[in-house]
Amino acid sequence: MENNGKETSEERKVSCGDVSKCFQLLESILDGEMGEEGKEVLKEKLDKCQPCFEHFHLEQAIREVLKTKCTKQPVPTQLADSIRQMIHESK
Amino acid sequence: MSDSQRRKYTQEEKNSIFDGEFMPHIDSMYNFAFRLTFDEDDAKDLVQDTYLKAYRFINSFEQGTNAKAWLFRILKNSFINEYRKKSKQPAKVDYQEVETYYNSDDVDFQGTTDLRADSVKDMLGDEISNALNALAVDFRTVIILADLEGFTYEEMAKILDIPIGTVRSRLHRARNLLKDKLRGYAQSMGYKTDEED
Repeated sequence: MENNGKETSEERKVSCGDVSKCFQLLESILDGEMGEEGKEVLKEKLDKCQPCFEHFHLEQAIREVLKTKCTKQPVPTQLADSIRQMIHESK
Repeated sequence: MSDSQRRKYTQEEKNSIFDGEFMPHIDSMYNFAFRLTFDEDDAKDLVQDTYLKAYRFINSFEQGTNAKAWLFRILKNSFINEYRKKSKQPAKVDYQEVETYYNSDDVDFQGTTDLRADSVKDMLGDEISNALNALAVDFRTVIILADLEGFTYEEMAKILDIPIGTVRSRLHRARNLLKDKLRGYAQSMGYKTDEED
């Protein structure tokens, strides 16, 4: 079990003042919507707030598994050809 | 549509846009369609319809803009207008109802704190997929667009015809619902859900 942060967790706030707002902000940062400003906000949150720290890593893990593990459906081999055929006929 | 718009692209240009910018997305399009319909034939029909419409309205596509987002928007509208009605799926919970229910702050947070990042990382692809597929279609859609297809909030707003603020809040709620599902799996599979390290 990784415990990065365990050593420093004592310095972090145990509870977050506004969980709902903070978590939405963290999610926007993870989604790449906050640009450079996001990186600074993120660093501060992760350094100072334990719930934010945990939420961030959970959200990051979920994004990662969604991106890499979701079962992909193979495209039917005839699909591209039949689309081209239908378009050709519609001309 | 005016004559000038209609004549925007030559036949050659149309073919080149279609083959060069539209067809490369067929894989993503089919997977999006399948995750909306859960049916191979419906997904196939939906993708075919989308490409036919894309070709028919190719003059309203601006070259240099995001073809994938443009195609996804057509597919999503086709799904809403045609497939949702005749879907073999049992009626889904009305989205507005779900949104209102999950709008309160306490529901927002409860039940997700004990799910651990490490448990999520250990989960199988099937478990992740099943959790995603169990979400109501509007919530499922935003997660597919954001996390599986990598669209920005702005692109999602255009695809779904909703304001960016709504994209953000719907995604947030969708992720909370997904976490509830994942927590269920974590517990049933004996993954760690408590603070143990």
